Amino acid sequence: MIKLIKCEYLKTRRRYILPVTLGITAMYLALLFYGEYSDDALRQGWWALLYQLPLLNTMFMPILCIVVASRLCGLEHKGATFKQLFTLTSKGSLFTAKLIYGLGIITVPILIQFAAIYIAGCYLGFGGVYPLNLYLIYLLSTLLTTYAIYVFQHCMSMLFKNQAVSFFVGIGGEFTGLFSMFLPQIPCLRKILIWGYYGDMQFVGNNWDRETRINDFYLMDINYAAFFIITTVAVLMYLIGKKLFTDKEV
Amino acid sequence: MKEVIHTYKLTKQYKKKTVVNELDMIVREESIYGFLGPNGAGKSTTLKILLGLVKPTSGEADILGKKLNSQNRLSILKNIGSLIESPSYYGHLTARENLQIIQTILDLPKKNIDAVLKTVRLDKQEGKKVSEYSLGMKQRLGLASALINMPKLLILDEPTNGLDPSGIQEIRELIRSLPKEYGMTVIVSSHLLSEIDQMVDDVGIIANGRMMYQGRLNKLHMLDEGKSLEEIFLDLTGKEASL
Repeated sequence: MIKLIKCEYLKTRRRYILPVTLGITAMYLALLFYGEYSDDALRQGWWALLYQLPLLNTMFMPILCIVVASRLCGLEHKGATFKQLFTLTSKGSLFTAKLIYGLGIITVPILIQFAAIYIAGCYLGFGGVYPLNLYLIYLLSTLLTTYAIYVFQHCMSMLFKNQAVSFFVGIGGEFTGLFSMFLPQIPCLRKILIWGYYGDMQFVGNNWDRETRINDFYLMDINYAAFFIITTVAVLMYLIGKKLFTDKEV
Repeated sequence: MKEVIHTYKLTKQYKKKTVVNELDMIVREESIYGFLGPNGAGKSTTLKILLGLVKPTSGEADILGKKLNSQNRLSILKNIGSLIESPSYYGHLTARENLQIIQTILDLPKKNIDAVLKTVRLDKQEGKKVSEYSLGMKQRLGLASALINMPKLLILDEPTNGLDPSGIQEIRELIRSLPKEYGMTVIVSSHLLSEIDQMVDDVGIIANGRMMYQGRLNKLHMLDEGKSLEEIFLDLTGKEASL
């Protein structure tokens, strides 16, 4: 498996996958921190971010997954390399090695984002104590949901030669997930789609006073069941995708 | 002589269409076996079955003394090199970088890369991206990929595709030298009957998935001494079949 993961690195030389990923992360962070901060905003900075991040993740992370999966898998379809690779190693190992490599790349921007939030929060002078426990729960929810979306994109990109299929299905999922965040009256929408889980696992709510125009953030119940569900869904998608890929004839 | 490949009633059906029909194929060790047939006759499917890329609907194949199945497929394939239909490559990488991927998977020494690049005469082009290669150069890279592990059995599907006359001659000489120099057995499929005529020891002619003739090439010529290989081929496969 280590050899195959090394090969994934060798294959992606000059494909600029990591720089593209970092570019998308830079846009994400610029959008997150852009703006003027009032004293009230700075006072509640740590909580405000925990409230805003799931929405931004729903917008950016699926795109990141589409780009990385498509660039990693597209090169195999383009060069008709599966028929050669299948004579050198098992289809299942190839599927898993490429998935692990992709998940590794996807983890980098999430960790950068996590670190950047702390550094920027300290630099901007966010009030109160940095709620490390809550941010760790947020990190876990982001990783799990992004991994699940990545597994889905990986399966699509490995199974379909035309990468436009995985792109449009992924974008469709992302928009539906985004849509579900503005429809709290239909909570099932968030639960049935993997793209809705950033919102489903959100644990900071917001009260906005129309007259004083002041936001107040509060801690909601943490939906631990969602953590379990999204992990199970990711594992199931991996097993189904691997089975379909293994049964594929070239 | 020892048999490297022996298939027993190998059959492959896609839905209701039988592509390979009860094929019995015998390839002798250290021989060059020419696999001939019109378009859609089942040549590539047969070769893919031998490589475990396609599962047969029925029948069995003994390869290098072992019955091919999903458990031992990879251990058998360690001794087989292949080039099926068109060469596989990563266009954004150089020839050396492409071969490095196979070398890493198969745990081969790095010197094998230099050796095969020299063998297929790509050693002076190794710094160039493969996307900038001509079709013939890509075909040579495909051959280098097949040869990198110095296999006991080499399966080549249309290896001279896209090559110019001197390239064809060069590849022919290379293929001819492999049994003598490295003790390899080579199966080569081609539409170019004159090429097969100059290259192979044994020949198998397939049409509509069935083996129409199998045996020594010189015996095939003796079937009808007044006819060329092309005429004999057309007689065997039916004149309606295209080349």
